[in-house]
Amino acid sequence: MSSLTSGPLKDLGKETYHWQRYTFKQRMGRYSAFVVVALLLYWTLSTVDVFWPWVWSAPEEINDMLYRMMPPNPRAIPEIIPVLIETINIATIGTLFAVIISLPIAYFGARNVSPNKITLAIARVIIVASRSINTLIWALLFVAILGPGPMAGVVAIAFRSIGFMGKLIGESIEEMDWGPVEALQASGSGQGHIVTYAITPQVMPTFWAVAILRWDINIRESTVLGMVGAGGIGMLFQVAIDLFRWNTVSMVLVSIILVVLFGEVVTGMVRRKLI
Amino acid sequence: MSIAANTVNSDGSFLWKRPHFISNPLLRYGLLVFSVVYLMYAFGTLEINFSRVMRGIPRAMQIFSGAIPPDFTSRGSLIVTGFIESIQITILSTTVGVLLSIPFGFMAARNITILPVYWVGRAIIIVARSLHPVVLGVLFVKAVGFGAFAGILTLIIYTLGFVGKLIAEAVEEIKYGQIEAIRATGAGYFTILIYAVFPQIMPRLIGLSMYQLDINLRASTVIGLVGAGGIGNTLNSAFGRYDYGTASAILLIMIGIILIAETVSGKLRRFTR
Amino acid sequence: MLEIKDLVKSYGDGQPVLKGLNFSTGDKKLTAVIGSSGAGKSTMLRCINRLVTADSGEILLDGVDMLKLRGKELQYARRKIGMIFQAYNLVDRLTVMENVLSGRLGYVPFLKGALRKFPQEDIDRAYQLLKRVGLSQYVNKRSDELSGGERQRVGVARALMQNPQILLADEPTASLDPKTSERIMELIARLTDELHLPVLINLHNVAQAKHYAARIVGLRDGVMVFDGKPDELTDEHLELIYTGKDELNEQLHPEGESEE
Repeated sequence: MSSLTSGPLKDLGKETYHWQRYTFKQRMGRYSAFVVVALLLYWTLSTVDVFWPWVWSAPEEINDMLYRMMPPNPRAIPEIIPVLIETINIATIGTLFAVIISLPIAYFGARNVSPNKITLAIARVIIVASRSINTLIWALLFVAILGPGPMAGVVAIAFRSIGFMGKLIGESIEEMDWGPVEALQASGSGQGHIVTYAITPQVMPTFWAVAILRWDINIRESTVLGMVGAGGIGMLFQVAIDLFRWNTVSMVLVSIILVVLFGEVVTGMVRRKLI
Repeated sequence: MSIAANTVNSDGSFLWKRPHFISNPLLRYGLLVFSVVYLMYAFGTLEINFSRVMRGIPRAMQIFSGAIPPDFTSRGSLIVTGFIESIQITILSTTVGVLLSIPFGFMAARNITILPVYWVGRAIIIVARSLHPVVLGVLFVKAVGFGAFAGILTLIIYTLGFVGKLIAEAVEEIKYGQIEAIRATGAGYFTILIYAVFPQIMPRLIGLSMYQLDINLRASTVIGLVGAGGIGNTLNSAFGRYDYGTASAILLIMIGIILIAETVSGKLRRFTR
Repeated sequence: MLEIKDLVKSYGDGQPVLKGLNFSTGDKKLTAVIGSSGAGKSTMLRCINRLVTADSGEILLDGVDMLKLRGKELQYARRKIGMIFQAYNLVDRLTVMENVLSGRLGYVPFLKGALRKFPQEDIDRAYQLLKRVGLSQYVNKRSDELSGGERQRVGVARALMQNPQILLADEPTASLDPKTSERIMELIARLTDELHLPVLINLHNVAQAKHYAARIVGLRDGVMVFDGKPDELTDEHLELIYTGKDELNEQLHPEGESEE
């Protein structure tokens, strides 16, 4: 039998074609974007306040630190466990407070249901301020006001979360189907009934999703609160660093990773149950 | 949802009950009891001390009276340098971080790698994601000294964890047929990545980079609190001096810049879609 | 010359999809593979260019066993085998030209491919092929802007771009409407006939198989149950191939005859 070789493609004409991947306009667009990015990087690299010899010795320094951290010190575990639990508690209670407070804020901050312009503006300002200031800065403030301890942490977590949740829940109120609201209005229901029967059921899935997500984020955030004195594992971390107890530092890092993973697993489970 | 709660009575009337959210009563009440007990315990550990709150109130008044009006001028040049440094940290760390996230994200995508590589990629991303930037900041300040460089390293790792994970997810969601088609032409592994994987994740990647620019700017304002450069440094020393006027000025500018960055990043993302 | 011997393939721990399949062809004409879904048609095709790796058996292409190849050798063998897919499998966000040129990726070095630096003769040939399949006006269009029929034309051009020695087509018309489907079949049949290119084509439509193929192979549960010319394929054979499967009625009484 003959082999399978087919001849070269034939009968296709002899035309040649000049092909370029992008049109002239596309190419110009890409070049100018490239130039802008290059200039930006050039400006940054030439003006940033970095002592370059430190950069070149950095890999060595980091290696050295990692070397000193090994192995994690298991004797630190009895110290770690109570503050780790405190970390979770701060995140949970902070989120709980935020959930309660963010609901009215979301309601007043949603353009379609907010009673008037003033309530809308107030809610929006609260949301923006809360969101733009980091948990740790809130913590700094509340440690100054309330004194050090987990309570400052809880309040900081709550203050940062209110804006986050208020914004997302408010957006879901703005995007909801208006039909059920009209149906209830037509049946003569008051605003209270409209909230419980037409708005709440529609916003519920987003509400849960946002609350769970924020709890997950807050576990991460509450691991550092202690560094400014607001409770949780951060304090232990800071002390271990200041005393150069590197093996304890690495044990703390391992436990932080474990507690964050724990948070992710729990939120994953709850999310699957609820949604 | 339980249907058993609804029954027709002997007189023909229908007994209606709202179905319970969790139908198993044991689980339902168990969870309720657990939650109540947990909350009572957790509140107990908070050391809520009302006398301390009371004593805090005058301190709060003092802080706020110091903070109003905000003082933009007396430390004006420090504030400007602080913000410029935060922006520089953001730009460099986002660029390097996103570039690094691509190989690590690919490593952590189950559908295009072998198992050992996948585990290494996943482990690196999990560690990078779990550690708060402030924790990383403290470590890098210890390792390479105070200043912007520690901040840049911190946010590079932070970006790696965040973007790396999302790239891995994007790669796991691509249409596998396109990979098969390019593989069938006899292309090698890296050519397949360039031709079949990259085009599919490119829009997500650009969007993510823009988003990360926004996130890193926010994070760059706090890592300074632990000495890793940027406006956080300035803010921390203002707090340390009880100079609440400067602190409130910084916070106000921070809110403004973050709002602008959010809008710009949103616009750019829409533009690249 | 393609020869398949005792090919066995199972996915996971399940029943084997192919149970000792034997098949050979040296003919430069169109062979249609028919059978119900799950009969192993697609697996058989994918085993040939190793998109799927068979458990045991031999696949000899010009005397070389595909199952023994690794790395570069496998890539070189794959470029001799063109493939057309049911879902077209074009890279959506690349242009038509880039998709056709990707048929040359087995031949160009990595960097040249990544930078789209294809030899001019490849670009010429891609253009000629596009002209031939009637899409030369869409050279710089993104492939996700095309209709299904147009995409499959690009798919055909990409496969032929490899200058293959055999063409595999896995249900190339199954995602298309009947009219477009006929035109794609015609295009494949005419082009491969001109090029003296042997084609192995999976079809779920027996009428199409009878019309276009020079040889028909029937698979059932991973074994070959019919092998012959189209006019030798009787209703009895069809019953053998499709009995107990959902498609039986549809294939025996095509085109709405089975309406109640």
